[in-house]
Amino acid sequence: MAERRKVVVTGIGAITPLGLDEATFWRNMLSGVCGVRTIRSFDTKDYKTTVGGEVDSEALLALLQARGMVSSDRTVDMALLASVQALEQAGMLRGGPPYSPAEIATIFGTGAGASHSLYNTFASFSQKGVRGMRPTSVPRCMANSITAQISMKFRLTGPNYVIVSACTSSTVAIGIAFRMIRDGYADKVLCGGADAAFDPFVFGGWNNLGVMSRNPDPARACRPFDSARDGCVLGEGAGALLLESLDSAVARSAHIRAEICGYGESSDAEHMTSPSAEGQARCMKDALASAGITPDQIGFINAHGTGTRANDECESRSIRMALGKAADGIPVGANKSFFGHLLGACGVIEFIATILGLENRKVPPNLNLDNPDPACSLQLVGKNAMELASPVAMKNSFGFGGNNTVLIAKRWEG
Amino acid sequence: MEQEEIIKMLRHIMKQSSHEKVDWDTVTRESTIDSLGFDSLSILDLVYDIQTTCHVAFEAEELIGIKTVGELATFLKSKMAK
Repeated sequence: MAERRKVVVTGIGAITPLGLDEATFWRNMLSGVCGVRTIRSFDTKDYKTTVGGEVDSEALLALLQARGMVSSDRTVDMALLASVQALEQAGMLRGGPPYSPAEIATIFGTGAGASHSLYNTFASFSQKGVRGMRPTSVPRCMANSITAQISMKFRLTGPNYVIVSACTSSTVAIGIAFRMIRDGYADKVLCGGADAAFDPFVFGGWNNLGVMSRNPDPARACRPFDSARDGCVLGEGAGALLLESLDSAVARSAHIRAEICGYGESSDAEHMTSPSAEGQARCMKDALASAGITPDQIGFINAHGTGTRANDECESRSIRMALGKAADGIPVGANKSFFGHLLGACGVIEFIATILGLENRKVPPNLNLDNPDPACSLQLVGKNAMELASPVAMKNSFGFGGNNTVLIAKRWEG
Repeated sequence: MEQEEIIKMLRHIMKQSSHEKVDWDTVTRESTIDSLGFDSLSILDLVYDIQTTCHVAFEAEELIGIKTVGELATFLKSKMAK
């Protein structure tokens, strides 16, 4: 086997309910600002859940206009904006727009894809029949319109495709990108994820599934690992990372944000929606082996932490199964209390929080952890950020369908 | 509807359908449709939006040969008169 290459992050883009750039996002996290609000995108009077982490639509449109971009689909819009931030930060946008072609792959994850376009197309079809469908319904609605639009907009000439694996989608996208670079199939990959759950149809599906919090108090609804948790809260957004080989980054004197050193994945092969501690634990062990590290080297676990009864208890058991005694001393955080569950984008946004934590030597706080559930016996981070003792962090993402994925990142110290 | 009114309406519709940043105030009857950010795909959306807004029916193929905003307005005026 060829020598494995080191993989580093040189660009970050974040469009989130907590802010439309990484600096605002991180500042708000450290300040304990909650991005969950009463839903404004549509009327929720028939819905059991009325809160969510929405991205500010006016600010999103203003950002698109400032970039000279025309809105097409909310998921795609957010993915494009996250991408331009990451590419710009990495110094990879040249001569544009229109930009010069660059040999960069584009891999994004999504749960529902271009869901607003799908909803609008179906609504129009229901009202007017086939004549109500736009001629461009197919290219607008296909899930890979996300990476197709990014590839065309920024002229990224490497392969482009979309990963669909529920809530692990963007973590898988990062994991695939990591492996492509590590094993020599690519030098640079723009990867991440995007999802926009706030239309009456997609949100309605989640509403009826019975896994969402019914707490009408936006700031208190999402409570990972807390005894009073009653379900997840949805969010929306997009995140993008420019990953490249260390050799490539050093050769062009790029500013390195972090190293990605491990990725693991597994399937529960048991149940569509109920998680399995065994499956998750296998995945964490796989990631540790991939990174070549031992559990005691982990300084922070950024949990999947959805705030459902089932996930948080199961994840607590799986962390102990995988890390053993070392789990006693590792701080565990859960970012969803700040902005909700971003579905296919949750992995990348929470991984960005992990990278920012490594850079700033901070473990971000958990909101709403008033009474930790005794069934979640971990060293849970409370309302105050903690100092990060070790330069290595683990990010968990688990999804419906029994998908488990874990990334391991390391602070870049030159 | 007079041709100037049709051109004003077209500016508004094109602004929604175009994928390019265009100064729509400077669009005149002589402006070419290609220069306004429409390609072989997005022109289909433009046809759809015109038909929906103007309540006229025509096939996209009928636009073959039409190059400018003025020619499009003349075509639409004839369709709306029927």
